[in-house]
Amino acid sequence: MPLVRTLLVEPAGSVGRYALLLWKAFATLGDMKSYRKNIFDQMVHVGLESMPIVALAAAFSGAVTTVQAAYQLVSPLIPTSIIGSIVVPSMILELGAVLTGFILAGRVGARIAAELGTMRVTEQIDALEAMGLNSVGYLIVPRVLAGVFMFPVLYVVASFVGITGGMAVGVFGGFVPLGEFVAGAREFFQPFDPVFGLIKSLVFGFTITSISCYKGYFTKGGAEGVGRATTEAAVMSCVYLLVADLFLAVTLL
Amino acid sequence: MKYSNEIKVGATIIIATVIFILGVRYFEDLPLFRGTHQLETELSNAAGLIPGNVVRVNGVVVGSVDAVRINPQTNGVRVGFHVDSGLPIPEGSRTMVSGFDALGVVRLDIALGPADNPRIPEGGFVEGRVTTDLVAELTDRAPLLFDQVDEIVGNVNAVLGDSRVLLGSDSDLQGALLSARRSMTTMDNLLRTQQANIASAIENVNGASGSFNTFMEGNADSLAAAVSGLNATMAQLESTLDGLDGTTAAIDELLGKLNRGEGTLGLLLNDETMYHRTDSLLTSLQALIDDFQVNPGKYLKEMRLVDLF
Repeated sequence: MPLVRTLLVEPAGSVGRYALLLWKAFATLGDMKSYRKNIFDQMVHVGLESMPIVALAAAFSGAVTTVQAAYQLVSPLIPTSIIGSIVVPSMILELGAVLTGFILAGRVGARIAAELGTMRVTEQIDALEAMGLNSVGYLIVPRVLAGVFMFPVLYVVASFVGITGGMAVGVFGGFVPLGEFVAGAREFFQPFDPVFGLIKSLVFGFTITSISCYKGYFTKGGAEGVGRATTEAAVMSCVYLLVADLFLAVTLL
Repeated sequence: MKYSNEIKVGATIIIATVIFILGVRYFEDLPLFRGTHQLETELSNAAGLIPGNVVRVNGVVVGSVDAVRINPQTNGVRVGFHVDSGLPIPEGSRTMVSGFDALGVVRLDIALGPADNPRIPEGGFVEGRVTTDLVAELTDRAPLLFDQVDEIVGNVNAVLGDSRVLLGSDSDLQGALLSARRSMTTMDNLLRTQQANIASAIENVNGASGSFNTFMEGNADSLAAAVSGLNATMAQLESTLDGLDGTTAAIDELLGKLNRGEGTLGLLLNDETMYHRTDSLLTSLQALIDDFQVNPGKYLKEMRLVDLF
């Protein structure tokens, strides 16, 4: 019986609570007064404040991809332009979105869960409800919308910086001339690739922020519960991010 | 100066959007700040063409493919693409797929029509050339190619086998080479041992050559006279040969007449009538003589002996 409870009842309850929370959030979308000001604050926290770490990680990822591509593939039989055709699609299709997602799962997801968890255990959320404010509309909707809007922006920045970093290391490191890098990238470039990356980042933004909000909103157990919720938010965001990545790749590519 | 969160967020989104659009156009090899011209074409076979493949004119990338779909009305492949609006595509232009699908480098090439022709308008249609799928063609021809390759490999093996036999340690070629090497060694030894004799022989030849030169210088006049006489003799001989040629021609003509049965002698040789008449005469004469011997009285009864003698 405990096994059934662990394997079936509790996951079903979690899915149900998550779905109801999202339902309430979507139901309050029209009530912009409750989150209009808060959404820009969250966009700054989620988007602008995450930009330096995302750009840093993307630049190094692009650079490392270039060096590894040169190390593994460049030979007299393979043109050096192959580096460009590996680095650019890698950043656009996978690294730009997934790298940003992992960084934000740790940075933004943990922050959201910690914020909401603390508000829950200190009964601030109950106070909001007591004052007649819609806590879901006031706390969750702006965070989820900020993630949905700002993740694509961060994805664009990550892809741009990553490709630039890869290009710079390739050229200044003597691995590939700029012209060949660009020629290789153009040879295999497909217009749907950046669109696919945007769709992924949008889905990742929604996944990370909504899971983190769920974990924080339903935090129990005081300070220890906040810590547990924060960890679970970061871990579960990463897990579902990978699941969503596979799902999107299978369905859209 | 402190900016509000709205301005920060708005500026960030605008900048990201601009980077995205310009980045996509850059990697599509399109002009960053110029429009594009939308066109369509229809091909018999897409040959691996997909959206995003480049469009080229004379090897220069001028646009990219937007859509590839089957046209249910014609069962052809309808391809939508755009090119740089600064490049006019004149009427009479043709499209065709080039490149190799297996390498992922399929392209749509445009062969431009006459430059004087009017430009194909936005959304216009460009005729497509009949194209074939290179991979399918290779697949169709593969069995024949494999047979030929097998045959070639078999021949190469046979040649290699023969070569091995030819070059083997007990082969004729090896024996010939050994024999040649032995001969060369013998010749070398001979030359070494007979070096003095050979030098002497060469000196003798040189001496004989010098004597001959001396003789030639001393008897130059006599030799000139002898050559002059020889020339005169040769001229006479030439004249004689000319006469002989004329005689031969006359004989040829005579023989020709004889062969053609012209003249008495020709008729005698070629006409069988005289032979037959002579033969008939001799037969009759033989019969007369026989009859005379059997019955001499028949011819002599009216003659008296006195008359006879």
